[in-house]
Amino acid sequence: MATGQTFDIVVVGAGPAGLAAAIEAAKRGARTLVVDENNKPGGQLFKQIHKFFGSHEHRAGVRGYDIGRQLLDEAAKCGVEVWLDAVVHGLFNQRLAVLREGRQVTVEAGRIILATGASENAVAFPGSTLPGVMGAGAIQTMINVHRVLPGNRFVMLGSGNVGLIVCYQLMQAGAEVLAVVEAMPSIGGYGVHAAKIRRAGVPILVGTTISRVVGQGKVESVVLATLGPDGKIDPQSERTLAADTVGLAVGLTPLTELAWMAGCEFFFSPKLGGHLPLHDDNMLTSLPYLYVAGDITGVEEASTAMEEGRLAGIAAAESLGLLAAAAAAADKAAVRQRIDVLRSGPFGEGRRLAKAEILQQQALRSRQGGQSWKA
Amino acid sequence: MEGVKLTGALSAAEAASVFPPNERAERGPVAVIECVQQIPCNPCEKACPFGAIEVGPDITNLPRLDLDKCQGCGLCLSKCPGLAIFLVDASKSATEALVMFPYEYLPLPAADEIVDGVDRTGRFVTKARVVKVDTGAQREGTAIVTLAVPKQYMHDVRSMRLVAPGEVFLCRCCEVSETEVRQAVREGAKTVVAVKMRTRAGMGLCQGRTCRRLISRVIAEETGQSPADILPPTSRAPVRTLSLEALAGGDDNE
Repeated sequence: MATGQTFDIVVVGAGPAGLAAAIEAAKRGARTLVVDENNKPGGQLFKQIHKFFGSHEHRAGVRGYDIGRQLLDEAAKCGVEVWLDAVVHGLFNQRLAVLREGRQVTVEAGRIILATGASENAVAFPGSTLPGVMGAGAIQTMINVHRVLPGNRFVMLGSGNVGLIVCYQLMQAGAEVLAVVEAMPSIGGYGVHAAKIRRAGVPILVGTTISRVVGQGKVESVVLATLGPDGKIDPQSERTLAADTVGLAVGLTPLTELAWMAGCEFFFSPKLGGHLPLHDDNMLTSLPYLYVAGDITGVEEASTAMEEGRLAGIAAAESLGLLAAAAAAADKAAVRQRIDVLRSGPFGEGRRLAKAEILQQQALRSRQGGQSWKA
Repeated sequence: MEGVKLTGALSAAEAASVFPPNERAERGPVAVIECVQQIPCNPCEKACPFGAIEVGPDITNLPRLDLDKCQGCGLCLSKCPGLAIFLVDASKSATEALVMFPYEYLPLPAADEIVDGVDRTGRFVTKARVVKVDTGAQREGTAIVTLAVPKQYMHDVRSMRLVAPGEVFLCRCCEVSETEVRQAVREGAKTVVAVKMRTRAGMGLCQGRTCRRLISRVIAEETGQSPADILPPTSRAPVRTLSLEALAGGDDNE
């Protein structure tokens, strides 16, 4: 077998975290490759047509796709190599198995940064496999990237920011949203996102769920039901909406297959989406060559993902001896400070605590020894 | 076209002709004998311990119910071979009436289950709560179901239909239902990997990315394990679906 190509740093995933990581690493002199299975880079950024929150340094007020373009420009300027239509399907220590445009390639990496993102959660109810029941993220890709409306009359399950934003964008795309349905007793996402769709007349029904979806070969109606105090559906409360499409916006799960395969340590965080690779405040896992950034380390949002990517990129370059410890410390401190801002306030509190728990757990296991954590 | 002779279901007029006055139902439980054809049959007469039902020596006579003697015990319901006797009771609440009927299908409903109350033609009338399912020995295999229905429907609801939960698929790639997964867990498959080996759930195109959380949740519910202890299935290369052609093409590095 021919020897593979070699890079200082290989980043898996060209979303906000992966691109930001690659830029920081390349800026510091690392020969950097970004591999992504999609045909376009940017991950989910190019379907984010709304303006981002955050502060000025987080490019707040800028629309997601513009942030994506800026990242791509910057990556090109720094000399980051980007492989698209390139699927990483195996990780064997520091060697990656890649299917690039249909051809098998192996790549050797000094450091690997996994920025694989997350996948949408599914819900199972009678009729949930009917065509017309789809992930909210899939809807967003269809309307904002492919410019196709997958239906006309929507019901959205889940009132987190994803559910609310996608409803808003559906209406911008010309669809009718009949209702947002939320099992919890209150709305999950930002009030400003909820208020936007309420002004358009969309009801947000809390304490309610979809009890079933009915139709011959496709969604023809959606039966809603109120949840009783025991969390069970009250059948007397069932009512039917004549919807033809159902969006599921019920959270995301970190995409961790490659990390499991690499054999790094894991941690379970319900708040952040489930099992995720344990990592330190440099985004380093329990394996000395493996870093993580973005939603794979716990589901948050794009601004935090970019900052985590920057942190991983700087730390990985530092570990390769590409910059002095003092310079690295200053750079990393600035990023960590911006991350803290993004996790502040009542909406960030839960994520901040969950992330702190990861670091505590990492420190604990590191002290217990037997791990390859660096000092 | 209506009436039992033409449609098999009592017409509204036929039903009204055998229904006791509403005041009687408001006083307490009372039998409703929906027997309107002169067939040779009289077990109901013997079934009543209070002598409230009379057929007489000519057994093709229609049964006559003495509304004052009827105590609403319901013993006649499971005796009527034609399943034509019902019981209504409007005395228990201002808004709800109880309707009792014989039911000889499996599965039987459970108390407190919500079912579809249906009319004499099987048409949905109202959602109804199952108050009681009597399968006692004296019923001789004919279960008697008691439903609570809004009072205005006591003239119409004469049977029920279980609300089919519908098949819920957890693994849509391999069409593995929630029932199959639960069954597998109950039979000892207590990890996502074990469920996969037993049912193929998670072995399709998406490689479990859609179903593994749903399966984890079922395992947690069935075994009481914490979700933290239910690990995803083993990740192996290829972690994404590839064509065999791509793999067989060998390594393309120059």
